[in-house]
Amino acid sequence: MRIKIDYKKCIGCKQCEIVCSLAHTGTVNPWRSRIRIFIREEFCLPVIAGPYTEAACNSKGMVMVDGLEVDGCVVCRASRPTKSVYKEPDTGIPLKCDFCGEPPDPQCVQWCAPEALTLIEE
Amino acid sequence: MFGWNGRILRIDLTRGTNWVEEMPTYLMQEYIGGRGMCIRILFDEIDPRIDPLSSENKLIFATGPLTGTGAPAASRFIVSAKSPLSNCIANPCCGGYFGANLKYAGYDLLIVEGKSPGPAYISIHNDRVEIRPAEHLWGKLATETEHALRVDMRLRDDLDDWALNTIGIADIGPAGENLVRFACIMSDGGRAAGRSGLGAVMGSKNIKAVTALGTGQVNIADAEGFRKAVMGFYQEGRNNGELIKRRMYGTWSLPGRANKSKSQASLNFKEGYSEAFVKYEDPEVIRKLIRVRDEGCFSCPFGCSKRSRIKDPEYPKTAKGPEHESMALLGSNCGLGDMEDICRANYLCNELGMDTITTGTMISCAMELYEEGYLPEKDLGYPLEFGNRNMFKLLKQIAHREGIGDLMAEGGIAFAAKYGHPELFMGIKGMGIPAWHPQAFDALGLQYATNNVGANHTKSTLPFYEGRKDPAHFVEFTKKDQDYLAIADSGVLCWIIYHGPLWGEKLSEWLTYITGTTYTQETLDRLGERIWNLERLFNLKAGITCKDDTLPPRITKEPRVKNRVVDIDRLLQEYYEWRGWDKKGVPNQEKLQELGLEKEGAGVI
Ligand code: SF4
Ligand code: SF4
Ligand code: SF4
Repeated sequence: MRIKIDYKKCIGCKQCEIVCSLAHTGTVNPWRSRIRIFIREEFCLPVIAGPYTEAACNSKGMVMVDGLEVDGCVVCRASRPTKSVYKEPDTGIPLKCDFCGEPPDPQCVQWCAPEALTLIEE
Repeated sequence: MFGWNGRILRIDLTRGTNWVEEMPTYLMQEYIGGRGMCIRILFDEIDPRIDPLSSENKLIFATGPLTGTGAPAASRFIVSAKSPLSNCIANPCCGGYFGANLKYAGYDLLIVEGKSPGPAYISIHNDRVEIRPAEHLWGKLATETEHALRVDMRLRDDLDDWALNTIGIADIGPAGENLVRFACIMSDGGRAAGRSGLGAVMGSKNIKAVTALGTGQVNIADAEGFRKAVMGFYQEGRNNGELIKRRMYGTWSLPGRANKSKSQASLNFKEGYSEAFVKYEDPEVIRKLIRVRDEGCFSCPFGCSKRSRIKDPEYPKTAKGPEHESMALLGSNCGLGDMEDICRANYLCNELGMDTITTGTMISCAMELYEEGYLPEKDLGYPLEFGNRNMFKLLKQIAHREGIGDLMAEGGIAFAAKYGHPELFMGIKGMGIPAWHPQAFDALGLQYATNNVGANHTKSTLPFYEGRKDPAHFVEFTKKDQDYLAIADSGVLCWIIYHGPLWGEKLSEWLTYITGTTYTQETLDRLGERIWNLERLFNLKAGITCKDDTLPPRITKEPRVKNRVVDIDRLLQEYYEWRGWDKKGVPNQEKLQELGLEKEGAGVI
């Protein structure tokens, strides 16, 4: 089972960020979310936090999305010391998606009404 | 505290100071937020007779208990002050990310008072509040300003890509700086607190922009219950197709609906139908033609807003809109029938920071004056019959107050009167009439005429719903819907989604989950009615009378659409009676007592 991201359907509403924070902390604060929406003029990119890594990054650069250049650090899921996203804002503790819900029932998928995030069996 | 922060941020521009005040409990309990809190504060703190562009006016940016909580389509914010256009109370509602950020920064309200000695912008980053110089921003277009501010913030606060595109910015374009009386406050690349000229109030205070960045949290009383209820709401929206329909087309489904029912404002309201718009009656056509992507306001999965492409190389690649109102007022109403042209006009208005609706009625008024020979070509410097693209030139002249634009910037009443034909300006209380022709439905005429802020499209319910078309009931429904929207604007809910008859009951549901206090429909109805009456008292004190609750003679005397006129005098009397007001539209003693507003009514009645 995994979350499929269809960025073309994303409208930048940030409901996924909100519910991720709500489900994990009982409060609403997008800075506590394990998913982040990167907004571009022509599209929005949902990126889900991966594992924390101390390792130096050796793949920095631009990647192409839909013919537009995007900073590689934006689409990279890793939480890193030099990155400010995917960190608990008060404590600085790295955040990582835990595929929440029991049995897995990712809340971001539930609240993504535009269906940019869907759960698929695979 | 749940829902609210319980904190007011006040900025005194004259002295360059700012401080935080504790929110009085009664404000939260009895006025909820947004529009309700704004009228209470303005009623208490400013004299309704002041010059709106003087430093005595106060400008309030207000969120509600639902802003930033994730309640769907409920993260909007209200901007309020006395309007320089209508001289009434003003409380336009705006989408985007600004409201949520103000909330996360720890404030429910931002009250801006006094006047800055020079161009400045306000920067709010949680507890760090600064008034910063803005000479380098003065004169810039709306999105240019936002871009420059983002660059500033990246350098100053070392913000990453995600944070930079999560902040909220409210700003004015050149029109606001030049005190054009129908200038907007723009936000987040093309959203607007549009209708009452508050951009000019911001300009009069020398404030170019307010940036908000909040990294704090909002607390929810019943987080689990709320999470499930929102999920249920989405399911419902999917099942009845509303969610999908709105995201696909937003307001683009309305030009067809209006044109087919002969209610699309056309040629300065001479007609309710535009031949050139027949090709846009299918929203899919518009979508294919100009759409780039769908955009949602913060926490809104309906995403009614559209980013579109203009092919003209002189314009940027993509821009927001146009919405139905802009299409009608700048399009069919000015005789433009080509979507490319309409997009250009909409883009210009947004960047210059002017309300597309009132601007549309100003241009169409000039066009009719010109065609009738009342407005000589030498005053314009070019011909301006309906449909002439010289209107783009005129738009810029208004924003910069150049040539005839200087007079037009003073609003339609002054402009049309100067050329001897005040009746040709299609406005109410100085505010241009929106897209739906009032002769198409009597209910609309009454709603526009009695609205506390002027002819506004967002403070009334379109008469498609149950009972709203029925002559026996629509006066009653007008009152009911107005009261409902007063409270919805206090949430702050999005009018486009929570249309009263559609999902109106959700407000009490969300409020109860979020604040932990049980709100019933009856309580909210009463609070809404009180807000409406308090606004009315403010207007009466400002010098507005029942003579201002009217429609242009074109609507009441010339049968232009469906061979009908609106009998406004009869409707008004019936409406005043439903409201518990006297024949002059003044709330009577019993009504004030019932609402607990006797003290406020003293000196008015
Ligand atoms: S909820 Fe879905 S549409 Fe909204 S921002 Fe998240 S991924 Fe995009
Ligand atoms: S699956 Fe759960 S933890 Fe992971 S991003 Fe979605 S809501 Fe957050
Ligand atoms: S419906 Fe449209 S205007 Fe209303 S909150 Fe959603 S995106 Fe914004």
